[in-house]
Amino acid sequence: MSREPSFLWSNSTSEGRLTGTWRTASPDYRNLPSPCLGACPVNGRIATWIGQVTKGDYHGAWTTLVDNNPFPSIAGRICHHPCETACNRVEHDEAVSICALERYVGDQALEENWQYPKPETMHDQSVAIVGGGPAGLSAAYQLARRGFRVSIYESQAQLGGLLRYGIPSYRLDKSILDAEIARIVNLGVTVHLNTSIADKGGLEALRAEHDAVFLATGATKSKVLPGLDYSQPWVRDGAKFLAQTNAGEACDLGRHLVVIGGGSAGIDVARTARRLGRDVTVLALEPDDLLPAQRTEVVEAREEGIRFVCGAMMQKVDAGADGLTINCVEVAFTPGAARGQFTIAPVDGSAFTLAADAIIPSIGQDADLKKYGDLLDSAGPVIAHDENWQTSSPGIFAGGDLTSMDRFVTEAIGMGKEAAMAIARFVDPEQPAFVKPSDPAVPFKVINTAYHSADGRESPAHVAVEQRLQSFGEVQQRFTKAAAEIEAKRCFSCGTCIYCDNCYFYCPDMAITKLDQGYEVKLDYCKGCGLCVAECPTGAINMAEDLGR
Amino acid sequence: MEKIEYEEKGQLYSGHVACAGCAEALSLRVVLNTVGQDAVGVVAPSCLAVICGAHPTSSVKIPVFHTTIESCAATASGVKRALDKQGKSQTTVLGLAGDGGTYDIGLQSLSSAAERNEDILYVCFDNEGYMNTGGQKSSSTPEKAVTGSTPAGKTTRKKNMIDILAAHRIPYIATASPSHINDMVAKVEKAKAIRGTKVLVILVPCLPGWGIGDNAMVKTSRLAVESGVFPLFEVEDGTRYIMNHTTKTQPVAEYVKLQKRYKHLSEDDIAGLQAEVDYDWDRLHRRVAQN
Repeated sequence: MSREPSFLWSNSTSEGRLTGTWRTASPDYRNLPSPCLGACPVNGRIATWIGQVTKGDYHGAWTTLVDNNPFPSIAGRICHHPCETACNRVEHDEAVSICALERYVGDQALEENWQYPKPETMHDQSVAIVGGGPAGLSAAYQLARRGFRVSIYESQAQLGGLLRYGIPSYRLDKSILDAEIARIVNLGVTVHLNTSIADKGGLEALRAEHDAVFLATGATKSKVLPGLDYSQPWVRDGAKFLAQTNAGEACDLGRHLVVIGGGSAGIDVARTARRLGRDVTVLALEPDDLLPAQRTEVVEAREEGIRFVCGAMMQKVDAGADGLTINCVEVAFTPGAARGQFTIAPVDGSAFTLAADAIIPSIGQDADLKKYGDLLDSAGPVIAHDENWQTSSPGIFAGGDLTSMDRFVTEAIGMGKEAAMAIARFVDPEQPAFVKPSDPAVPFKVINTAYHSADGRESPAHVAVEQRLQSFGEVQQRFTKAAAEIEAKRCFSCGTCIYCDNCYFYCPDMAITKLDQGYEVKLDYCKGCGLCVAECPTGAINMAEDLGR
Repeated sequence: MEKIEYEEKGQLYSGHVACAGCAEALSLRVVLNTVGQDAVGVVAPSCLAVICGAHPTSSVKIPVFHTTIESCAATASGVKRALDKQGKSQTTVLGLAGDGGTYDIGLQSLSSAAERNEDILYVCFDNEGYMNTGGQKSSSTPEKAVTGSTPAGKTTRKKNMIDILAAHRIPYIATASPSHINDMVAKVEKAKAIRGTKVLVILVPCLPGWGIGDNAMVKTSRLAVESGVFPLFEVEDGTRYIMNHTTKTQPVAEYVKLQKRYKHLSEDDIAGLQAEVDYDWDRLHRRVAQN
């Protein structure tokens, strides 16, 4: 039969018709930031490393984590996790258990003894870091991995700062702390222990020896509660109490203890005392729902039999033969504009008393602004610094609790990282600047929830209360492998392409090309319907106006 | 999430003139790529004829024959018999028609082909109206939906095509939705392997005809499935019923509120539609239980 072209038969494909001319908007693969990224104090790429966990690539996930934070095992245990508060999944069922996942990956790294690669190039410039706490160690890590010579000057006998002397081991086991610190030191950091840079002269001498100095000595002065005589044997400062007990010293206080302060430090004191067999009451100014401690800490403290008296303050203590009578009054508490600010008004006729053998005030710490005389300017309660973390004294940078009222471990780690990048640039202008993520985060409404079931989150196991009180062993346990895998898959991966191919397969015009890593829009044919955007499960594609092919 | 998986073989070309975001073009892409190159298509006048054609170009890689609207199944039967005579009995013959060419004008030829159990795979792209000619109602248009010829909403039910076909006791009938591509692929593969008359009815939301957004056809068809308005199921030999999506998780209200053709509905109207859907759903499940 003849197959000659005929007017009855088609003679070409439709590909000559460029339907892209119909379009007024086109898809744009953007990989926008997830809300957790913006909320994370260290700008951790959370959606990325959780994606690596879902693929079973734990080393890759750890590598992504430690790009911004050398303490995933520690942060996974004690971070106040603003990422989970910001998580888009909150509007669907419950936030992803990001912290517990981070700990899972961090602990895997410790089990496998993964170490940091040595820097590719070494630089001659040296940086002194004063204070071996979270901010100082984070800065030391970021500078050392970039090949700078780093010396840490630590006044205590061991590195760790607040992590070692302030956080009890039932929240953070010391072996974890030791291992994550050792990994940083192994990068070639010089450590001077029991070395205090105690005054202006000492700091100036240090500045002269090094190309830059990073000051991260923390907030070391306990706030003093007015009306309480700290010289009495029945008063013990909370930070001192924690340092003593964390160092293994016996508790010489009586049986009934009242801890004053409802922040994390106060709860740490209370739960530590409880583990030493004491009866503990926490007295806090804030009402229960406004206690500054993390909610899980309050819940666990209550489980352990700690009594909370919230929305009240101590007025006067009467010491008698058989103990103390603490005269208290209820207060109306009004939170202020910034964290830590508030006003209170005693409520008439609400006086009551608490009986106790000793009082442990734990109402927060102040930075020591006088230590270095007139060398450094201050800004209110903290040391002043510019946008590059440099103090009023050129070449001396500062970060952590010394410069900020955001008194969280991971905030300090984030400041250490940012300051380290600024210091690197100060001593070597060719180093890249720190860039804060500025794109708006992917909102919940662009996540296509048809692709995400709503089964609630996995929670790691907790040790039973009776067992907890027998020792200082960790309360929160590590995820099982199965739970970690399920939990990682719950992540929406907001704004991050997961290469699911939905955009490719839902295009009625075959206008998406699959690449090795990602996709490309064929603008010749894309009609701009937006199905690829609507059916993207992660919000990684946007429609952008496009008025000409 | 479940990944979509089938081999894209380039059976539908870019440059076709379906509307932006068209459910029919996407469903055609899935059907053609699953059937593969050893196939001949027979196309009835419909949006499909426009998508496949625009003479002298073709958007489909397989040869297709454009026939009249009343005779898609008859023409497909003839093409199949001719191929058999040429010794090409492995070649799949696809009937490709809209709901007008299936429920209304082509019903006689489809019924006859089904009665003779002709070895064809007939795919009805059901957009619930004559959408290619400006959106008039067909017998597939559901109750209360506004079309160009039912401006106050259709007063009668959607014709139950699956029951009609089941009464012919043909070997395979299935429903499919562009929101459930893996399910559609599995059904085309299953149908392709069966001899005799196979009919696939695919719900293809029409963007202008139903009044939905350019990016909304997957969402709309997903809601049709999840609300039970358009259940995904198979009927083997006209008697054995198999449900493919076994849960009804969305109210009908969620489905209709996306569509301008239902904009005029009162709460009572929606409650009435919900009652019909619930009744049909239970009836379908009773049939599954009777297998």
